[in-house]
Amino acid sequence: MILGVDVGGTFTDFVLLNDEGQVTVQKLLTTAGDPSRAVLKGISDLGVGPETPVVHGATVATNALLERRGARTALITTDGFGDLLEIGRQTRAELYALHPTRPQPLVPASRRFELPERVDRLGAVLVALEPAAVDEVIGRVVEQQVESVAVCLLFSFLNPAHERLVRERFEAIAGQPPVQVSLSSEILPEYREYERASTTVINAYVAPLMNRYLANMERDLGDRRLRIMQSNGGIISSETARTLAARTALSGPAGGVVGAFELASQAGFDHVITFDMGGTSTDVSLCPGRVQETTEGSVAGLPLRLPMIDIHTVGAGGGSIARIDAGGALRVGPESAGALPGPICYGRGEAQELTVTDANLILGRLDPEHFLGGRMHLDSARTTGRMQELARLLSLPLEVAAWGVIRVANSNMERAVRTISVERGHDPRQFTLVAFGGAGPLHACELAATLHIPRVLVPMHPGVLSALGMVLADVVKDYSQTVMLPAHKVDAPQLERLFSPLLDRARSDLRVEGLTEEVTLMPALDMRYHGQSYELSVELRGSGFLQDFHDAHLRRFSYASETEPVEIVNLRLKAVGRTAKPRFLEQNARGVDPKAAHLGYKQAYFSDPDDLRAARPMPCALYGRERLASGNIVVGPAVVFQLDATMVIPPGWAATADRWGNLVCERSGV
Amino acid sequence: MTHTDPITLEIFKNLFISVAEEMGVTLGRTAYSPNIKERRDFSCACFLGDGRMVAQAAHIPVHLGAMPASVRSALSEFDDWTAGDLVVLNDPYLGGTHLPDITMVSPVMIGGGDTPSFIVASRAHHADIGGMSPGSMSLATEVYQEGLIIPPVRLAHKGRTNDDVLKLILRNVRTPVERKGDLMAQIAAHRVGERRLEAILQRYGLEATLQHAESLLGYAERMTGAAISRIPDGEYTFSDEMDDNGLPGSAGDRADPGGTRPRLQVTVTVRGDAMVVDFSGTSPAVDGPINAVRAVTESATWYAVRCLAGAMTRAGVESQGASERAPVNSGTFAPVEVRVPKGCILDADPPHAVAGGNVETSQRVVDTVLGALSAAVPDLIPAASQGTMNNVTVGGHDEERGEPFTYYETVAGGAGASPHGDGLSGVQVHMTNTLNTPVEALEYAYPIRVRRYALRKGSGGLGLHRGGDGLVRDLEFLSPATVTILSERRRIAPYGLQGGHPGGTGLNLLVGAESEEALPGKVEIRVEPGDILSMRTPGGGGWGEPAGSPLPAEHTPSKP
Repeated sequence: MILGVDVGGTFTDFVLLNDEGQVTVQKLLTTAGDPSRAVLKGISDLGVGPETPVVHGATVATNALLERRGARTALITTDGFGDLLEIGRQTRAELYALHPTRPQPLVPASRRFELPERVDRLGAVLVALEPAAVDEVIGRVVEQQVESVAVCLLFSFLNPAHERLVRERFEAIAGQPPVQVSLSSEILPEYREYERASTTVINAYVAPLMNRYLANMERDLGDRRLRIMQSNGGIISSETARTLAARTALSGPAGGVVGAFELASQAGFDHVITFDMGGTSTDVSLCPGRVQETTEGSVAGLPLRLPMIDIHTVGAGGGSIARIDAGGALRVGPESAGALPGPICYGRGEAQELTVTDANLILGRLDPEHFLGGRMHLDSARTTGRMQELARLLSLPLEVAAWGVIRVANSNMERAVRTISVERGHDPRQFTLVAFGGAGPLHACELAATLHIPRVLVPMHPGVLSALGMVLADVVKDYSQTVMLPAHKVDAPQLERLFSPLLDRARSDLRVEGLTEEVTLMPALDMRYHGQSYELSVELRGSGFLQDFHDAHLRRFSYASETEPVEIVNLRLKAVGRTAKPRFLEQNARGVDPKAAHLGYKQAYFSDPDDLRAARPMPCALYGRERLASGNIVVGPAVVFQLDATMVIPPGWAATADRWGNLVCERSGV
Repeated sequence: MTHTDPITLEIFKNLFISVAEEMGVTLGRTAYSPNIKERRDFSCACFLGDGRMVAQAAHIPVHLGAMPASVRSALSEFDDWTAGDLVVLNDPYLGGTHLPDITMVSPVMIGGGDTPSFIVASRAHHADIGGMSPGSMSLATEVYQEGLIIPPVRLAHKGRTNDDVLKLILRNVRTPVERKGDLMAQIAAHRVGERRLEAILQRYGLEATLQHAESLLGYAERMTGAAISRIPDGEYTFSDEMDDNGLPGSAGDRADPGGTRPRLQVTVTVRGDAMVVDFSGTSPAVDGPINAVRAVTESATWYAVRCLAGAMTRAGVESQGASERAPVNSGTFAPVEVRVPKGCILDADPPHAVAGGNVETSQRVVDTVLGALSAAVPDLIPAASQGTMNNVTVGGHDEERGEPFTYYETVAGGAGASPHGDGLSGVQVHMTNTLNTPVEALEYAYPIRVRRYALRKGSGGLGLHRGGDGLVRDLEFLSPATVTILSERRRIAPYGLQGGHPGGTGLNLLVGAESEEALPGKVEIRVEPGDILSMRTPGGGGWGEPAGSPLPAEHTPSKP
């Protein structure tokens, strides 16, 4: 038995997977001031015993960064480089802006300190760091009453002695309460000083908060094993997360991708595009047989170069606002009505702006009777009135205007999916779109059609996929080290020597994690042609790594140059401890007829096959998701309702309920 | 079909922009040189068959006006287009900007005939195109010294690459392997763009696609017109100056303190939803390499208008980020007429040298146009930003690695303060937004050590809102080398507005073992191991009268 808990902005989601493979789902309102209250209530509601491990997706780090409420932090750098955090890569966020802006650095000038020291590109000490100089700086740091300190010295990834000296002196002389020290040579031992400093500072900024939050949570949970979701889709012990807090910054979206990929793989589809459409934004991620990672990520506009699942976000969701702009085009998003005031149809008086959700209601795809299980009233009259105003401005019939809002929203999402697929050399026709989030299943089939994606999969519980992903995640730890060596001069024994400190750390860390399960160690090399500035990561499978790099370069960039010198930039090691997972319970097929789930008929609007721009009313069958059984086939046009999502099956599509409760929707007979 | 409805308009806006963006991704992904791959110094766009631009991916502002000029030039050179043709050019006097910017133009042919239905174009800054200095950013006096000049010629015909042309180009550049990789990347981007446009034409038909493209031009024109109509009618003038004639020993030098400083003069006339930007009164072209061709002047003017239009709409109904998504096409700038006297420094005649017109003079055009507009919309326009790109090229023989090297960088500075707040410090402004090279990456690759990279405290102009601070960047050379500097705002400070003080001027210092020497803004010098070049970039101008209170200590303009 294992419990996944995902704390979101509005809801805290629970997924309990028992040893028989049965899934129990619970949704509670997030307790904003102290998120642990909802967490503990859910645990007691579900009657989860003390022997059940809990996997937690905490938003502590994310929120601290988004709201700039992190710990009071200082930064210590090499002499002459105290401003590196503020200068960044010396660019601005927007190209065309009279008043360009960029995110304020997390550490202001008054808390940035420089040390007289210097290490060169080979790791040799040019200016030795004197302990007295460190003590003097520590004195000034302490005066600033900081809770946390980040240390980022030039080339410290090659020679960490100076950074370690800083920590030693802090431990020796700093008072109480102790200051938490994050060293760049430990957080991210890779070259490129700004990105390393930014990542280290983010860690320092969120670690004290995470430390307090998890200490309380551990106390409240008693003997239960607590593990924390990371941005890379793997989990780590609560203890590790308290010091490596930056690794958890994007855990929520990561859980969703892991859940979507695992469910689709189990159902036989391992080439997956995940499509998580919520209220204000949509996350898409491409999984060509595996979940893909990036080390080029950022959070709250600040670079965070730790491995994280490669997720692309666009500002288009159910709450995106539709309006006509100054040039006379219909725009949808990125402005959002958010949770407050929300779409017009949610009936809050102050809501004035039409949203994508309102358009779905006009088209008959949402139903007042079945929305959120009928618990929430939808104001059709007011929504129709506002949509009529828009339709008049557009000189279009009401439903065609509403259909236009959907088409524009879909075209924004089409661009997002193209960005992660076509633009990176993947053919969408070979993928399955896994739709989840509140609005994903509403839009998935029509989006798939424009991209020629042949299949859409909607999981049984599309509203809690992130918590489900946490239940399914493995323990994952990532290690890296910049070495910058000419590849032709490196042989296998030398590589072994270089990797051995990373392997030792991985093995000892996994012991600390209490892993008794199967452990896989995956070494890789980041390489490039001499003179390039981009590295390509190649799995290390023996002495043929140079050829593997040429091959990978050819595949990715359509050329290779075997006579050019190659550099090994970084060593990477991924350690994966497989967690024990019960298999999901399977249902026996019960025949194709879905009549047991049939709720009735209504008029709904769909694209007119003769004129893509027009919408045509058709009688549409309505079904309840809970009553659909394995083997049932629902032929479009149809709408399937469930508590936390609504799925639209357009004409020409048919959905089959599979053994695990997924709805697998494909183009039928055309 | 007679009109494009607002829904289709938005969808086609997305379609055309995504063609340009997909081209850009292909180019960035497959290019060889860091300048294209990492600094992203390139642009892609699609055009109607008659040369009007439909959409450009937002990459580099200086390419705004230059792309249409290149396409026009290719169209007037050839009238027998076939599918698979590809024209290449860099001639500044035939649609180019400066020689390192190489443009390609290729047709999308539908339904027979020899005129294109659509055109795709790309432009990339190549790290070297030959000429008298490595990096092709030399202190030249004629365009012939600056590198290889490519008039519009076919690099491919009917899908087959013309190897003769390719060989000729590669034999004239210093790094042929890298050049070939970058040129091939540009060709790959074109093939992607052509295929995407063909797919759109297949799905929607030629007639409808042409109509929607036409509608997008009208749409963009209305967006700009709506913004201009909110500027009070009137005639607004402004002038600013360049430091010198672009050569060492001119106005920047003690030996010639009275040397002529080229003057940029502009009159902006706003009437309803149209604007005329007239540069009459601007100085004639100069001997040094800071002359601009007309396309560069147009680009810089349009950049200023685009920023203003974004700010005007934003101040109204649009929210943050909305202006970024307005398409940039030929309609965007239709309401703006740019008049430049022939032969002046902003529309130089051949064979004037132009390498710095693109990077330096373009910045001053922006300062001048915004300066004029500040009288019209004082509550929107910021004070002058650093107004230079601080170009540094280092070339020599790396003794430790035993190979020759060339390194080029531009250094950020202060942004002008605005009515909305202080200017950013240490940031690329206006016509460029390229990334720096990380200190650790630089030291790994070249015999250079970075001694300091810090904000130049106190260099931003005082004001109610302070100008952003410039930077101090100290490079220590570990091998003998030749250093070429092309920088501005060393004498004429970035102006403040509404009572704000000017930003501090930039300073180039050569620090030797025993001496320290101030260098001119444009200079080529030999350096020895141990020498330090200390580049101190200009601050941004302040906005509004400074408050009476004493300055905080960290802003005392004493160091460095």
